[in-house]
Amino acid sequence: MKEVVSNSTTNISQARKAVEQLKMEAYMDRIKVSKAAADLLAYCDAHIGEDPLIMPVPASENPFREKKLFCTIL
Amino acid sequence: MATEGLHENETLASLKSEAESLKGKLEEERAKLHDVELHQVADRVEALGQFVMKTRRTLKGHGNKVLCMDWCKDKRRIVSSSQDGKVIVWDSFTTNKEHAVTMPCTWVMACAYAPSGCAIACGGLDNKCSVYPLTFDKNENMAAKKKSVAMHTNYLSACSFTNSDMQILTASGDGTCALWDVESGQLLQSFHGHGADVLCLDLAPSETGNTFVSGGCDKKAMVWDMRSGQCIQSFETHESDINSVRYYPSGDAFASGSDDATCRLYDLRADREVAIYSKESIIFGASSVDFSLSGRLLFAGYNDYTINVWDVLKGSRVSILFGHENRVSTLRVSPDGTAFCSGSWDHTLRIWA
Repeated sequence: MKEVVSNSTTNISQARKAVEQLKMEAYMDRIKVSKAAADLLAYCDAHIGEDPLIMPVPASENPFREKKLFCTIL
Repeated sequence: MATEGLHENETLASLKSEAESLKGKLEEERAKLHDVELHQVADRVEALGQFVMKTRRTLKGHGNKVLCMDWCKDKRRIVSSSQDGKVIVWDSFTTNKEHAVTMPCTWVMACAYAPSGCAIACGGLDNKCSVYPLTFDKNENMAAKKKSVAMHTNYLSACSFTNSDMQILTASGDGTCALWDVESGQLLQSFHGHGADVLCLDLAPSETGNTFVSGGCDKKAMVWDMRSGQCIQSFETHESDINSVRYYPSGDAFASGSDDATCRLYDLRADREVAIYSKESIIFGASSVDFSLSGRLLFAGYNDYTINVWDVLKGSRVSILFGHENRVSTLRVSPDGTAFCSGSWDHTLRIWA
């Protein structure tokens, strides 16, 4: 009998938490997709010039594209 | 007696129906702001040119499936972990192994480099996250200085240091994430909310504040406040396990890779999914995703052994990379964006540029 009681109290408190969580999520401040998209585009645009995988730097400046072999002097 | 704490009209049934109607309200509010698609806005952006990306280094040395890898902030060193319990630190320029340690467990699913470059963290089927200081003293046994930091009640699936060597964030098969103090091993905060195993996590770029995103077997991606432990936002549009989550470099969005064979982009301020990266011909799960420096490209490793490169804004695939001979299990772009590293069940890691 006691077990049943505590189970139902836990379920109730879990359900209450779920409702509170959903209330918070439902009523959060949002912006329009058009604005969000514009900002994503703007960020890309501002940084694409320095993106070494899109605007390749000369091979001599990218240590992975360089042809020279790395040797350690022992 | 049993009704203690219960408000007058409140019953389990009424709370459940309130939850259902709130879910509907959430979708309604999200839909109101869905005025355009990202790829439509991106129509005016110039298309990307041809890509020449090749394997520039192959790191061989693991005796079994590579499960995880992470870059050091020095843009050169890499830590990787595998199914046979081995954790190796490599110099990616020379392909030399600098350190190696054997964990007491198999399936080391998570590993991370400390921001200082002086330590690594790893864990897996041992349900723990342990920190190993890296020493260059040849006489010192790395395993001797091991420090157990995190304790979960199921496998460790992901770990990451925060901004310093002092705190570690972990994700676990026990359905929770947790923040730990490295020095004392104390639990600082725990994050409950996922309904199943948590498989991945990523910290927001430091400028954006104290949040992180996690993905799990409950198909949900959840964004958390690190200080309060509260879930701030959650997204449930994937149709299967979410294997990987990664923030867009500005911190305003994040990408996810899933067993449903798609990758998706979620914008945090619009609070919705804004892009899906998929093709009918791609039927195997995406195991790991990461953005290029500008956020324009999304690299995704798949269980069909390939890596697909996606134009994040236009939603199209720009390249497909072959080379691995088994599933790609892990993928990270280097800190300065000059290359990315992929790890695979074929026992190797490849550096692409």
